[in-house]
Amino acid sequence: MGFERSEETMGINCQDVWRDISDYIDDDLDPIQRAALDQHFAECRHCTALLEGTRNVIGLYRDQRVLAPPDGFHERLYQRLGETTKTSRRTFLAWTLTAAAAVPLGLAVFSARRLIVPAHDQQHPASGLDARQVPETVAISQDQDDKVFHVAGCSHLHGKPKFLPVGEAIREGYTPCFYCIGKARSKKNS
Amino acid sequence: MGTSIREGSYVSARRGGGLRKPPREDALEKGLASAVQVCSAQAAEGVLIERILSGHKELFMDLIRPHQRTVYATVFALLANKEDAEDVAQDASLKALARLNQFRRESSFGTWLIQIAINEARMRNRKQWRIPMLSLTDDKDDAKPYVPKDFEDWREIPSTALERVEVRDALVKALGSLAQHYREAFVLRDIHELSISETSAILRVSPGAVKSRLRRARLMLRDILAPGLGQDGGLGWASKEVRKPWE
Repeated sequence: MGFERSEETMGINCQDVWRDISDYIDDDLDPIQRAALDQHFAECRHCTALLEGTRNVIGLYRDQRVLAPPDGFHERLYQRLGETTKTSRRTFLAWTLTAAAAVPLGLAVFSARRLIVPAHDQQHPASGLDARQVPETVAISQDQDDKVFHVAGCSHLHGKPKFLPVGEAIREGYTPCFYCIGKARSKKNS
Repeated sequence: MGTSIREGSYVSARRGGGLRKPPREDALEKGLASAVQVCSAQAAEGVLIERILSGHKELFMDLIRPHQRTVYATVFALLANKEDAEDVAQDASLKALARLNQFRRESSFGTWLIQIAINEARMRNRKQWRIPMLSLTDDKDDAKPYVPKDFEDWREIPSTALERVEVRDALVKALGSLAQHYREAFVLRDIHELSISETSAILRVSPGAVKSRLRRARLMLRDILAPGLGQDGGLGWASKEVRKPWE
């Protein structure tokens, strides 16, 4: 129906108006386009009715009564938020207390374990040595039968040294030198 | 919101208005005053958010108080059901509280809150299948020229008409009959008066898509309402068929 009654004014027809009417309402047209639409509205009562009707729609919906919240909405929202903040405060308190209790408990368990169970996992399986305190390669004397292994350079290593991995020395029945390895151990432990 | 066009108000400087222009000087003064107000409001909002994040969660109610109506109106427009709207509005507020530390302040808190509310409403719609889902990226309809169904003269609706429950219900029903992406654009732009760029950021679509959706939403609503809502605010749907031009 609109097409049949369309009029062309200032180079625009009704279809152009329908396309741009929303931008016209939002004042989002350049001055020339706006002037053209103004001219068209002045001469076309159908498009004017469309413009007024569209403005009516916006004005009606913009009224706060249309989508107003129901009675008690704010109170119910505050209540729910209040419950949540209380719950989260309680949860936070519970977690804080749990954490506070867990720290000394954990320390106690750790200390007890240290007292009761020797740190086997850190000791060398064969010698009882702390693996971190013994070099990977140790020295034995080729000239003596004392079955003692030393850190290279130990003053108690007499004769021609032979170097071998510590694991191999232990497997062959060598024990650590008290002076070079034992001292280092006791110094570290103290 | 709440301003009748017929009462001669000029839409806020933020969105460019266009309904009835005041003199340029007045507009500039109003624009400056409004910018100052916006800056101080955002600063106060920032302080409030910091305090909430430092543990004063009870202050969250102060933060959302100015936005409650907007949040409810948004979800009510999208769900067209009062009970669901209240439920979703509450959920959105709680989610905002839980995620407040993720608020990056790239937009105002109100805009961020509306974005959460829209996502919650979309999820509710998806769960309930109440409203058929339409692809939000399908803009085929938007690109087509819209042809109004009639040109009935519909010039004046008195504000008092809105005191009648059935008129308000008719408006909600008409809005609810639009596809969701048209409703979203209309609600953000025309009811909450957000700018095109704010609307586009919230809906994550281009400004052009917002404009074309808004145009169709406005014209479709006019086509639905004009035949039924008389100039005296009376309802004429009992005797007139409501035609939906997109069907």
